[in-house]
Amino acid sequence: MNTLVPAIGFGIVTASILAVAGVGFTLQFGVTNILNLAFGDIMTAAAFVAYLVTNAGASVWVAMVAGAAFGAVFSVALNRFLYTPFVRRGTRLFGMIIVAIAVSLIVQNGLLAIFGANFFSLRMPRPTSVHVAGMVLTTVQLAIIGIAVATMIVIHLLLRYTKLGKAMRATATDPELARNCGIATDRVIDLAWTISGALCGLAGVILVMNVTAFTDTTGSGFLIPIIAVAVLGGIGQPYGAMLGALVIGLASELAAAVFSPDYKNVVAFVILVIVLLARPQGILSEIATRKEVAA
Amino acid sequence: MSVAWQFYISTVLIYLGVDVIACWGLNLQFGVAGLVNFAFIVFQAAGAYTAAVLTLGPATPVRLGGFQQYVGGAHWPFPLPVLAAGLVGGVLAALVGSFAIRRLRSDYEAMVMLVVSLIATSVATNQVGLVNGPNGLAVIPKPLATMVDLSPIDYQWLFVGVTAVICVCVYWLVHIVTSSPLGRTLRAVRDNEAAAAALGKNVTGLRMLAFVLGGVIAGISGAVLVEFISAWSPGSWLYPETFIYFTAVIVGGRGNNLGVMVGALLVPVAFLEATKFLPQFGPAGLTAALQWIVVGTLALLFLWFWPRGVIPERRRRFPAAASTPARRSLIRARSGP
Repeated sequence: MNTLVPAIGFGIVTASILAVAGVGFTLQFGVTNILNLAFGDIMTAAAFVAYLVTNAGASVWVAMVAGAAFGAVFSVALNRFLYTPFVRRGTRLFGMIIVAIAVSLIVQNGLLAIFGANFFSLRMPRPTSVHVAGMVLTTVQLAIIGIAVATMIVIHLLLRYTKLGKAMRATATDPELARNCGIATDRVIDLAWTISGALCGLAGVILVMNVTAFTDTTGSGFLIPIIAVAVLGGIGQPYGAMLGALVIGLASELAAAVFSPDYKNVVAFVILVIVLLARPQGILSEIATRKEVAA
Repeated sequence: MSVAWQFYISTVLIYLGVDVIACWGLNLQFGVAGLVNFAFIVFQAAGAYTAAVLTLGPATPVRLGGFQQYVGGAHWPFPLPVLAAGLVGGVLAALVGSFAIRRLRSDYEAMVMLVVSLIATSVATNQVGLVNGPNGLAVIPKPLATMVDLSPIDYQWLFVGVTAVICVCVYWLVHIVTSSPLGRTLRAVRDNEAAAAALGKNVTGLRMLAFVLGGVIAGISGAVLVEFISAWSPGSWLYPETFIYFTAVIVGGRGNNLGVMVGALLVPVAFLEATKFLPQFGPAGLTAALQWIVVGTLALLFLWFWPRGVIPERRRRFPAAASTPARRSLIRARSGP
């Protein structure tokens, strides 16, 4: 019991980071059907941007905005100048995965080449510990939870109360039909990449706020839980991803407390396999069946 | 030729043999059957560990001075560990395939495979008792070394010969599969799954078969590699290694056994070996990072300009059923008065 209550606290923190990243991942994947396996590496890149910003003397809040902005710009550019041209050239699903992995390797090793194989940490005010309901969390961790909740509310409002949400769902279901109905699908896809990229960048920054040190592989190591979150929630379902984040965040931290911290990812994997075995239609959700990539 | 050069060339040849075998295995899965197996390296690793453990003999407990812990050690004579490695690769493929090969869209399939690869690394690293954890296995005895009395350099050439024989056997296997009606069916499943299913082909079963065969070949390639380098650890089979094989298959020409062989010569061997002759510059690790960047760029360039590879898959044409004389007469007879 003594180890489980703090684990729940850490679980909520992990879930917060996963929710931000998972919603970004699932939104973009749902709309464009491109499995962006470089997502984790863009997170790392955003973290390095934040690192440079804090080193320049700016506060961590500025760094967060910078990281999110970088993620958005990078993602849109990646789609405009690499993914979309490949899709228009007729690269099929598996070809796009190779393209995405190539991007992932290039980004990750590019960071390694620029920054070197060192450990980095963000320059932040020293956090203080806070006791909440038997859990000990740092102020930084509380801030992460707050940021995640605020982000989820913004996403909810955006999808629920603007036409964009509807247009995104329409584009995800049938891009051609959506275009014929007068939806500017190109703009919707660009916006999906922007939102996804901003969330990706933000997730990268809050991820490295929560760890003592990060390297060029920190983000890509976080990719499995993100994929598990997206699959568990149903691809393209942001609310599903929020719930999935909570489940996987708590499950992995509890497993870390009960078994060993090395098995955090294994829990995500087991959940992924169970979803695949028990509900393959969960992964092949209505919008994702038998559909080629959209461009 | 000086001894040093002979050593170098024979070593490169053995690496080439291993890469060619592995690329044939991946080609059977990816090129012929269209399976995006991003866990390919795991099957190679499983084969390598199997061969290593079956050559090393029973593990010495730590209290008796044993420095590596693993399960199921045995002293099997040479060809057996390699065959066992193939078997283990196949069984593991059947196991992974049982949940991964389920008519998933190919990107989901790739996603699951990638996760399998990452998890396998994590398990092999953290379950220290299984295959000695992060330190891996070392001082694996060389095959036949005690039986033949050869100088190191002659032994190298013997090993080249052994690798060549295994290469020929594996080629024979993949050639039989790809040139037979089975290969034709596999390509049909790859190109149009719905049509193949409509013709009564067991799509999932066929994909599974290609996956298991690829797993067997991957296991064998791992066994040959580990028998040669005498050491194996989780660092040898991180998931980006799979990407090198994928790049080789794409560069060579997916679906074409000969093309894939050229791909293995170009990417893992020529490309990564050649950089060893470049002077080291910058901080440690920079060259390796640049190497990965170049391999990634190479994959992108080929997918853009030559998506079918250096030696593209041969387009196969079959006469239409009604155009062969025998059939025509049959049709005429049936539609007669």
